[in-house]
Amino acid sequence: MIHRIILAVGLVTASIAASQTSATAGDPYGMAQVWSYNFSMNRPWHGNYYNQMYGQPLALIVPPTAHMRQTYSWGVSQNLMYPIHHQFGRSANSPGAARGRFHGTPKWPSHTDQFGTYYVRGPW
Amino acid sequence: MKIRTLSYALVALAMCATLAATASADEPAKKVQENVPAVAVAEAYVGDVAPGIQRGYGQPDLFYNFYTQGAANRANAQMYLSPMPIPPNVGHTFYTYQPFYPHHMLYPHQNRFHRHYDCGRGMNRTRASYYYPPVRQTASNVYWNFLRIPR
Repeated sequence: MIHRIILAVGLVTASIAASQTSATAGDPYGMAQVWSYNFSMNRPWHGNYYNQMYGQPLALIVPPTAHMRQTYSWGVSQNLMYPIHHQFGRSANSPGAARGRFHGTPKWPSHTDQFGTYYVRGPW
Repeated sequence: MKIRTLSYALVALAMCATLAATASADEPAKKVQENVPAVAVAEAYVGDVAPGIQRGYGQPDLFYNFYTQGAANRANAQMYLSPMPIPPNVGHTFYTYQPFYPHHMLYPHQNRFHRHYDCGRGMNRTRASYYYPPVRQTASNVYWNFLRIPR
C-alpha cells in the first residue's frame, strides 16, 4: 500500500512538473538580461553600413530568446560570434535617419556586417 | 491500516483547501453586491479615494510602437512598421488586437493583455499563451532526434 501511495504521489508530482512547460532562457534571475541592457545602452545596435534597400541600417527582428549572432567573412579567423545585446523597447527616441554617415555595401562584400542588416531582439 | 486512514485524511484536507479557495474567490463579488445600496446612499463611488479627490484612471495606448534603445545609436529603428515610417500620404497600419502582435509569435510564452474602456473605469483582461503546435513539434523532434542521419 505504501509503495502505491508513494508511486501515486510521485506520478502526480511528475505530471505537475511536466505540465508547466515554460520558455525560460536559462536565466532565472535575469542576469543576462541586465547585462544585455547595460551593454546596449552605450553601444549602437547597427554597424557602419546602411542597407541598400532602405538607405539606413535595417533592424532585423529576432526572438528575444536569441542571444548570439554569427558573422562570416573571408578567412577562418573572421567567422566570429557576438552576443545580441539590443532589444526593442518602449522608450521612444527620435528616429533619426543619418544617411550620409553610413557606408554603402562594397561592390565586393567581404563581411556579412557590410550588408547593413543587424539583429535586434524583439520585446518580451 | 493507519496509512490508509492517513491517505483519506490527506484527500479530505485537499478537498477542504480547494473548497476554501473557491469560496474566497467568490467573496469579493458578494461584497460588491452588498455594498451597492450603501454606496448609493452615501453618494460616493467605489473608486473614490477621498471626498473631493477624483481617482485617475489609466488609459494606455491601444497600439504602441517599439524602438531601439540606447544612447549610442546614430540611427534608430522602430519595430512597426520596420524599418522606417512609411510616407504620410500612405496612411498607417495598426494592430488593433494586441494578442495578435507578430512579435509574440517568436517564442513560446504566456502573456496577459489589458484593455481599458469606459474612460478607464472598465477593464478587459485577455490571457494568451503562445506555444509550438504539439503534434508537429513532436513529429519534428522524432525526425531530428531519431530518424535524421546526422550529417
